Amino acid sequence: MQPVTRRSFLATGTAGAIGVAGAATIGAPFASAAAAATPDELSPSEAAAHRGPTMVHIVDAAAGKVEILHGERTIAVTDKTLVARVLRASR
Amino acid sequence: MSSHREAPGILKDPVADNTDVYAWVTENDTVTIITSYVPVEAPAGGPNFYEFGSDVLYEMHIDNNGDGIAEVKYQFRFESKNFNQNTFLYNTGPITRLDDNTWNRRQFYTVTKLKRRSSRRGQLRYSEEFKVSGIPCPPCNVGPRSTPNYAALAARAVKDLGNGNKVFAGQRAESFFVDLGSVFDLGTLRPFQDLHLISTPKGTGVDAIEKVNVHSIVLQVPIKDLTADGSTPRDPLSPKSVIGVWGSASRQTGLYRAHGRRHSSGDWRQVSRLGNPLFNEVIVPLARKNEWNSKTPAQDADFEQYVNQPELAKLLPVLYPRNTFPNLKAYTQDRKDLNAILLTGIPKEVGIAGFQNFTGPTKADMLRLNVAIPPNPNPNRLGLVGGDATGYPNGRKLTDDVVTIELRAVAGITIPLVDPTFTPDGAANVIEDGTFPPVRQFLDQFPYIGTPYSGYDVPAA
Repeated sequence: MQPVTRRSFLATGTAGAIGVAGAATIGAPFASAAAAATPDELSPSEAAAHRGPTMVHIVDAAAGKVEILHGERTIAVTDKTLVARVLRASR
Repeated sequence: MSSHREAPGILKDPVADNTDVYAWVTENDTVTIITSYVPVEAPAGGPNFYEFGSDVLYEMHIDNNGDGIAEVKYQFRFESKNFNQNTFLYNTGPITRLDDNTWNRRQFYTVTKLKRRSSRRGQLRYSEEFKVSGIPCPPCNVGPRSTPNYAALAARAVKDLGNGNKVFAGQRAESFFVDLGSVFDLGTLRPFQDLHLISTPKGTGVDAIEKVNVHSIVLQVPIKDLTADGSTPRDPLSPKSVIGVWGSASRQTGLYRAHGRRHSSGDWRQVSRLGNPLFNEVIVPLARKNEWNSKTPAQDADFEQYVNQPELAKLLPVLYPRNTFPNLKAYTQDRKDLNAILLTGIPKEVGIAGFQNFTGPTKADMLRLNVAIPPNPNPNRLGLVGGDATGYPNGRKLTDDVVTIELRAVAGITIPLVDPTFTPDGAANVIEDGTFPPVRQFLDQFPYIGTPYSGYDVPAA
């Protein structure tokens, strides 16, 4: 498992996986949240390139620790904002 | 059983359950490795016959420097395909070829060889040596109408990978043998049950898995492809002559079900492994078996206590109380003999003439094989304790009676190797479960493990 900071994670261009992950694994509420215009919004080509499923596992909500399961990789991310968005969307 | 359904977790996941591992020196300076999965397949498996898991990573691991970490790995990934979308049947007519259009549900696989590179920041790194895809598995042995001349059909699934490498993957006859019904009924051994705490008249052993099938991956590779320096060793006493072998199965971290389909994501997590037969089954406590299955041999020091003071050695004098095992009962020291056999290999200093399979001080459950010892045309089913250095615990051949070998070792016959003051009990030299290798089913050529039983001929397993 590769430790990744939010900054390096975003820099790799895989940030799009987060939004799609929510759509794939926790359903419509988070999909709606992800659809809101944000700086992280996917471009059409990024969205088209996504091959799922991508799953998000919140390891420690208070610390913002998340594992993103995609392809044959598990990527560790620390991102309190992401955790907040996912958990609020899941209510 | 050797490692069939041996842990609470893996018993619910048969396609990932590594049941047996064999590794022995074969002709032309090769080693043959067999890893079997899918325990206790009833031959009459219709309508959906058994297959490998298409979402499982199957691996054979070879350690050639004694650190309990693989330097060479062979990975196997399977893919299932339905060729006829309009039938409920596995086959709609006799299957006479591996591409017969009467055969609906088929499997294909990819074999990849990986070689360890230097570790970087604690991360193991491997490079790909070769990868061959689209290799067909044979069908299951349905019966004489569906799979006539099955042995010849299955033989066509042997794939020559070039450079002395061969592979086969598919259904095979169960090669392990054990009186399961007796040994897990409070340790009864039918030939000796008159001496049991709950005594009944003597009986003869019953092989509980005599007519079931498994799914096996069989690989034959040149010895030089497995050794640390790329040589074919000739000196059995050289440390370079010993390799450690184990099998495993892994699943991805996440499983997602939707619309009748299953999707997996994330990195691979090991769910089953096997080196020495019966290690997880009779050494590791029930409460830690799932944990053991998730770990690598390099982490086995954490389980050494169960080897040094095995529960079974304490149970034998209790279950057979009539002064059957007095010397074993009195022996309270750590079992250095079992520690060597299972965790380090047997050093040459033990004094078995011309033999050692020591891999160093790292405590690691691996099937250790001294590849400098050539095949024996007259093998003994009791392997090393029967005077045959080509048998278990020097690797493992199909004909090795590992239940009896390990039973006698635990009962004390190997203690004198490390403690000459100990005299084994007479019973330790004779106890067995009364089952014998199903020699007649084994093949005299690759893939060696026998033709599976047909569902028509064995309707009730």
